[in-house]
Amino acid sequence: MTTLSIRDLKLTKLNGAPLLGPLSFDIAPGEVMTLMGVSGVGKSTVLNWLIGASQPMFMVEGEAWLGNLRVDVLPTEQRRIGILFQDDLLFPHFNVGDNLAYALPADTKGSKARQRAIKEVLTSAGLSDFYDRDPATLSGGQRARVSLLRALIAEPQALLMDEPFSKLDSTLRQQFRSFVYERIDERKIPTLLVTHDAEDIPHGGNVLELHEGGGVAKIKGTEGASLTC
Amino acid sequence: MKKLLLATAIMSIASVASIPLAHADAKWDTVTDKAKGQTVYFNAWGGSDNINKYVEWAGAEVKKRYDVNVELVKITDAGEVVKRIKTEKDAGRNNGGSVDMMWVNGENFRTLKTNGLLFGPWAESIPSWQFVDTNKPVRKDFSETTDGLEAPWGTAQLTFIADKNVVAEPPRSGKALLAFATKNPGRVSYPKPPNFHGTTFVKQLLSEMIEDPALLTKPVDKDSFNKVSQPLWDYLDKLHPVAWREGKAFPANNAEMHQKLADGELKLSLTFNPNDAANLVAKEQLPPTTYSFGFTNGTIGNVHFLAIPFNAKAKEGAQVFANFLLSPEAQVRKADITVWGDPSVLDASKLTTAQQAVFNKRAPGSLDEVNPTLAEPHATWVEALEAEWLKRYGSQ
Amino acid sequence: MLKRTLPSLPACLAMLGIALTLAPLIPGLLWVLAPALNVDTWQALVQDNQFASALLSTLGSAVGSTLLALVCASLVTVMLYPGRGWLLVQRQLPVFLAFPHIAFAIGIAFLIAPSGWLARGLANLLEWSSPPQWISIRDPYAISLTLTMAIKETWFLLWIMATLLGEQAISRQITLANSLGYSRAQVWVSALFPQLLPRMGWPLVAVLAYSLSVVDMAVILGPSTPPTLAVLSWQWLTDPNEMTQAKGAAAALCLMLLLGLLILAGRGIWWGIKTLYKNPSGVRQRGLAFKSRRLFGLSVFVPGWLSLAILLLWSVAGGWFFPRLFPASLSLKSFSNADFEPMFTALWLGAATVMIALPLTLAWLEWGSRKHHGWLYAPLILPSLPIAAAQYHVLLAINLDSTAVGVIWSHLTWTFPYMLLVLVGPYYSFDTRYLCTAQALGHSRFSACLSIKWPMLIRPILAAMAVGFAVSVAQYLPTLFSGGGRFATVTTEAVALSAGGNRRVLAVQSLLQTALPLCAFMLAIGLTAWYARNRQGLK
Repeated sequence: MTTLSIRDLKLTKLNGAPLLGPLSFDIAPGEVMTLMGVSGVGKSTVLNWLIGASQPMFMVEGEAWLGNLRVDVLPTEQRRIGILFQDDLLFPHFNVGDNLAYALPADTKGSKARQRAIKEVLTSAGLSDFYDRDPATLSGGQRARVSLLRALIAEPQALLMDEPFSKLDSTLRQQFRSFVYERIDERKIPTLLVTHDAEDIPHGGNVLELHEGGGVAKIKGTEGASLTC
Repeated sequence: MKKLLLATAIMSIASVASIPLAHADAKWDTVTDKAKGQTVYFNAWGGSDNINKYVEWAGAEVKKRYDVNVELVKITDAGEVVKRIKTEKDAGRNNGGSVDMMWVNGENFRTLKTNGLLFGPWAESIPSWQFVDTNKPVRKDFSETTDGLEAPWGTAQLTFIADKNVVAEPPRSGKALLAFATKNPGRVSYPKPPNFHGTTFVKQLLSEMIEDPALLTKPVDKDSFNKVSQPLWDYLDKLHPVAWREGKAFPANNAEMHQKLADGELKLSLTFNPNDAANLVAKEQLPPTTYSFGFTNGTIGNVHFLAIPFNAKAKEGAQVFANFLLSPEAQVRKADITVWGDPSVLDASKLTTAQQAVFNKRAPGSLDEVNPTLAEPHATWVEALEAEWLKRYGSQ
Repeated sequence: MLKRTLPSLPACLAMLGIALTLAPLIPGLLWVLAPALNVDTWQALVQDNQFASALLSTLGSAVGSTLLALVCASLVTVMLYPGRGWLLVQRQLPVFLAFPHIAFAIGIAFLIAPSGWLARGLANLLEWSSPPQWISIRDPYAISLTLTMAIKETWFLLWIMATLLGEQAISRQITLANSLGYSRAQVWVSALFPQLLPRMGWPLVAVLAYSLSVVDMAVILGPSTPPTLAVLSWQWLTDPNEMTQAKGAAAALCLMLLLGLLILAGRGIWWGIKTLYKNPSGVRQRGLAFKSRRLFGLSVFVPGWLSLAILLLWSVAGGWFFPRLFPASLSLKSFSNADFEPMFTALWLGAATVMIALPLTLAWLEWGSRKHHGWLYAPLILPSLPIAAAQYHVLLAINLDSTAVGVIWSHLTWTFPYMLLVLVGPYYSFDTRYLCTAQALGHSRFSACLSIKWPMLIRPILAAMAVGFAVSVAQYLPTLFSGGGRFATVTTEAVALSAGGNRRVLAVQSLLQTALPLCAFMLAIGLTAWYARNRQGLK
């Protein structure tokens, strides 16, 4: 259970114009911090920076800490930060079970033990007989659930979500949202959510609103969260 | 009275003798008339720039004088053209064939003749025939009679080329060549049969190694072939290990050999045209210290010919073109070293002094010596030799 | 009650055109291969002492070059996608795709021959006076042929990969798999290649078919004692002896059977590899930090640049003998004396072919069946030698051999499928609502295509035309067979001169051969830019 801390994050466009920052905030274990703002204000850039994806269009300064470990200098595969995109991105050449096995750490050894672990996870999500299914045959909602399970089964220390609910219709959206927040709360993982839709904000959660030109506004706060702008 | 009788006799004989001439003239006029506006597709080996330019010149002249268009179709081997004509005959294409005239000799001529693929006889009815030197072997092609089905165009003789700075004393016989190759391993080779230069080289060695050379003038006897040709294979088995690439690979044609000679990868090259080296020196493709040489006891020489396929579309145009190519003007220009240097088939005594002088032109690199010409073996030996060579050395 | 509509006039014309282009090949092929359906022929074939080695060298060079190309293209992709290096690759690819394989092979031969540029460099260092006794080009194991083909095929496969990777989802998948703890190389092997390879199936088959049946490159670089099976088959098919011709037909049939067997083997191997992917063990392997990734990745173009450079050097050289590293004198004589006729012949043949292929392609894409168009790609995946021979027989039967019409028809067999290949993606993904709107405004379908759809697709259409032109220029066997030797193009000239001694003339013809498709591509880009100069949406 670790805290995700961002210190002095500054985003500058290549031509020198400042895009965002300096920004510092912490996300407590189990908390979901929402990042909102109009398109182009830098939300995806923050996510990309946190996950370690290359972005040739921006210069980024700042530090990201996961507990006592500084992660912004590590390559993506060593950061232990998971990500959930809009599209489920389930690997089409694996069946559902293998998709999860791919994410399951190698500590669980032996194919029997691994299969058991995966089946448990699937059952807990209401997908008990889905191990051998081809991802392409699943419904949108089922795929989204498997996608989250995959992200979580890898035992990440933090989670990023890039508009994960926007492709689902409103009923599914609500169901899936609760599903996601339950799991995050269970595992106490600090989560950063990027979204357009204010309904996605969890009850009582903190929100960072990014404005053009670098301004940031905090909307709600609860005890235990600290925010400096 | 006696004088009158004699005079009448002479006059009548003279008038009778002039009728065939007048008759021939009238026939030729019909040919030239029909030829006007025709296009002659001339299939010829295109491996030499000089030859191609000469043919273009001849074509332009013929267009000017007789309104006949000549299109040169460059080929790599006359065998392909033989195959094409044969395919056309099998498909029932008895006129309007794709080949109007071809440059041919030897086993290819024989295949054409035996399969009835040629038009003619026509060669001795063209006006230029009167200039041809019939003492030269112009009526026999690799021991096969031409029967007027092909007209002689020029002569060729197997000639070797070397660089003075690298090879001061060249080998002048097959045996000497083997000794030379042993002293210079990896620097001697020949084009891979069935390329015609390579085949001729092999024929040359055969004519030197065979016990009874008279056998070569007769068709090959399949039963005794292996025994009779054994000395040749023994020789090659000794040559190949010291040859270029240890005899496991061979240059594709003589042009590749010239290039390797120029770069020093090979020490000897070969050609059919005694003036080839001079042309290449002039074009900076061979160093100026290049020279040509032959073998003391002679190298194989032959006559090369022009033939017209049975289904040619422009038979008259082809004859007109052939007639021009055989004319003194064209033959002299062909023999000019600075143009092509291919020796003429005409009787020198029927030419003017100025024309004869062209035959004596010399240039650096050309063949200065006179070596005996050996006759070509009978055409059937070619196929047998090529097949046996491929069997023994075609796959390494 | 639904009324069955008859196909419209343009549709009928389209079908007719395509039928005329491709259907005659079927009887032609049967004709050519008939002599091979005889036990005696096969006996003679197998007993011929050149057959076994030819078969081995063909198999080795074809499989070797295809696999090598796949591995190289994969390595370059893994190393460079999706950064700046990848953009550099994409910018250089069109140049090298347009570089004709014959010109490239000739340049490579100039480089690595025992009297070539590399040897001369070494000669100067090590003070040799004669060329080394290397075996580089025309080696008996066809290694130089394999490597040269592999380089050209790597560029082709990189282009295919670039098209497949153009989708956003791929880079997100990489990020996702990375976040799960997998290093870059492992992500590619475990997650991306299994998705990409099945979609590269047919391009790989096309590459394999090409390398199995290539004649012109094998003549320039391949072994000669004996040559590869394709060259042997070609030599036999043009021999006057009937038994030899039959052996040639049998050898051609053998090539086709080989291709079929290799495809089956490939499928089998793929099926085997898939089983390895079951039950991933979750083991994350440490990635290697590869500093000079970009340099390594871009080195795949080095042979191309070197080949082009040496061709340019030879074309302006005066006398240039071993062991000089640079020509003794430079002169433009080779260019001023050059024969430009082959270039013009290739130019008008190519232009005519493309002008006929374009309406056929557009008509098929518009009115043809979407399900069955895979069949039209057949010429691309079949060995080209038997098809060229079949074309000759068909033309002979209808008296069109050795005519321009015959040669253009023979070129269409390959130009049409390639243009189809280039256009099919953008065409099928074109928003149908545009056409619907135009028709709702009262235009007929044909008129709507002419005024709306095709102008909107100007970019891919011009690209397809450039590709079609390049394909026509590069045709060797069809021009030779169907033209009866009367049509000398830059390609036939280059191959004919390649075994010769005059490297300057050869270099000039190779450069002319390269210039044609390059100009076509530049023209396509230029015309697109000009046409779209005031219309941002078309770019």
